[in-house]
Amino acid sequence: MANYHFNFAIVWRYAGKLFEGLLLSLELAAASIAIGMAIGLVLALISLDGPKWARPLIAAYVEFVRNVPLLLLVYLVFYGIPSAIDLQYDAVTSFVATLSIYSGAYLVEVMRAGLEAVPRGLIEAGKSIGLTPMKVLWHVRLPTAMRIALPSLSNTYVSLFKDTSIASAIAVPELAYGMRWIETQTFRTVEVYLLATPIYLITSYAILLLLRLAERRYAIAR
Amino acid sequence: MATLIQTLPFLVDGLLTTLLVSACVIVLSLIVGLPLGCVLAFGPLWARAPIRLYADFVRGVPILVLLYFVYYGLPAIKVNLPSLLAAIVALTAFKSAQIIEITRGSFQSIPTGQTEAAKAIGLSLFDRFVHVLAPQAARRFLPPFVNSVVDTVKGSSLVSLLGIVDLMLSLQQVIGRTHVALPLYLIGALMYFAINFPLSALSRRLEKRFV
Amino acid sequence: MAETDARASATTPVIAIEGLTKSFGANQVLKGVDLRVGKGEVVAIIGPSGSGKTTLLRCINFLEEYDGGSIRIDGTEVGYRDGTGSRKRRGDRELAAIRVDAAMVFQQFNLFPHLTAAQNIMLGLMKSRGRSKAEARAIAEKWLARVGLAAKVDALPSQMSGGQQQRVGIARAVAMEPKVLLLDEITSALDPELVGEVLAVVQELAAEGRTMILVTHEMAFAQEVADRVVFTDQGRIVIDAPPAKVFGEQPHERLRSFLSRFVGFRPNPA
Repeated sequence: MANYHFNFAIVWRYAGKLFEGLLLSLELAAASIAIGMAIGLVLALISLDGPKWARPLIAAYVEFVRNVPLLLLVYLVFYGIPSAIDLQYDAVTSFVATLSIYSGAYLVEVMRAGLEAVPRGLIEAGKSIGLTPMKVLWHVRLPTAMRIALPSLSNTYVSLFKDTSIASAIAVPELAYGMRWIETQTFRTVEVYLLATPIYLITSYAILLLLRLAERRYAIAR
Repeated sequence: MATLIQTLPFLVDGLLTTLLVSACVIVLSLIVGLPLGCVLAFGPLWARAPIRLYADFVRGVPILVLLYFVYYGLPAIKVNLPSLLAAIVALTAFKSAQIIEITRGSFQSIPTGQTEAAKAIGLSLFDRFVHVLAPQAARRFLPPFVNSVVDTVKGSSLVSLLGIVDLMLSLQQVIGRTHVALPLYLIGALMYFAINFPLSALSRRLEKRFV
Repeated sequence: MAETDARASATTPVIAIEGLTKSFGANQVLKGVDLRVGKGEVVAIIGPSGSGKTTLLRCINFLEEYDGGSIRIDGTEVGYRDGTGSRKRRGDRELAAIRVDAAMVFQQFNLFPHLTAAQNIMLGLMKSRGRSKAEARAIAEKWLARVGLAAKVDALPSQMSGGQQQRVGIARAVAMEPKVLLLDEITSALDPELVGEVLAVVQELAAEGRTMILVTHEMAFAQEVADRVVFTDQGRIVIDAPPAKVFGEQPHERLRSFLSRFVGFRPNPA
């Protein structure tokens, strides 16, 4: 350690690359959780209120995705599917699709737990003031369930943010990719990690802090 | 089809590496994480603070970045680890932080009345731990721990990015040679699934039973 | 045998229940209930727990489906299309429209936790009565003022006491202008010191001539506010009479033993 000469100046020149990478990581995570929540919500509603035969299908999706590495799913969608059928998409689209499918499998459970935790009495109160089941769903069950699920959603978002680092495996220029890129350009490995690791750390905890504040405002205790 | 069957021994080799890495990581992180978790649950502040810092640090950084850090970063300060060892070190660093959290959570979710009752019947600190707290904590520990074994097996696929020929990389290599991508990815997925699904199912059963 | 004081209402009944039966599995909780409630009448239902009183109330709002018999609100069968032979459950839209005619106030308040007091009241006005937002807001403010909560218009349920929440619950129900108001043990979940403020609101509504059916354990209140007291036991209406008679003579052994459990309640035969 003693004879290592730090040279942050060289690395600093590429700091923009890290910043762009960070933004892309946040965007990838945001797009994925949005789509994943939609998947999770629809499947949770189907498994709660829908036909019985749909339940094993949903369970199969959830179990498959949750027991297979994300990296493999990323490869499967990016290399595997286009090799078998005539469908072209870029790495970013491919990764967002994968991470959405991946997070969807976790969010089904989160959403189902949220919907199930909506007190029966609230649904009855909705019926009692003359709301149809669709309106009860839209105005009572969903807003309540989302608020109940908020803490889980915050945690999911942070872990998805960290998972975006796996996109570097298919050359999506997110934060981890930017980090490796600068390293290969400058060979200032230690400096790159000293710079990039805090970016992950600070961002993870900043997101968590912001979402916890939002929870305090909106969340409903179970 | 015949080519797929020919590739199987190669994939099985990779699978064995995956299992070896996962097993090492699990065992090592239990050795590191369990005692540190107990300290975090019961220790004095000066001992808790560095452990908390470590756990929070590691959990705030992606596993992949930890892997890169140990494999590419440490050599810059003259710590050269062969890739397999670097991978195990990095994954253990990550897993230990999780084990620490699970251990702490298992102990802290035990109602304080249990300790008070144990004190009231005159049990020593040692007896309280062995006969009252540890058995209860073990039941709370198991379901998330088994779940975290699943995560370890999944996470071990990242070692392929360091050039270690685990199941993931052997898949990539076979695909590179045969150009049969989708079926091979699906076979690989099923192999991971075959290991992980029973564990996930076990975790759920333990949870129903214990919690 | 039911000793029914069939005090036929002068006008046509708002609620007409005939031969109502309802089972939960093997347990029959309603064994043929008949009840008529005239316009402007206040009927208190009392009885031991498990006697079917809450189930009866919930059937009127069709929060429980009933197995046999009929419930009519202003002549309209509540849950099922008319046709005596094969009953057919009404569609969701029809049900929603009929349910508003009998608005329920719940034991656990059941305020929507993500909406303010005013929004709780506005939701039904806008989404099922088709009022504009401005109209709904005006009605909500009017009713919140009526129940003494003008200052809490924009407060969330979590920022209100139990008594305040229940008053919003009452406002939410009456604002729909239902033909009958159903009150299901509305003070049971309240701390004793908050009961008074809620009962005061109910008393005022009764004085206005609103039709109400209330399930209650507040015997003194039932005696004071009700035109008729109905005593249910084991799925049947055993007594249906004016409060003076129910609390005064107590000829029925089951009623006597039931009332004897309310320590400190001294029936006022006057």
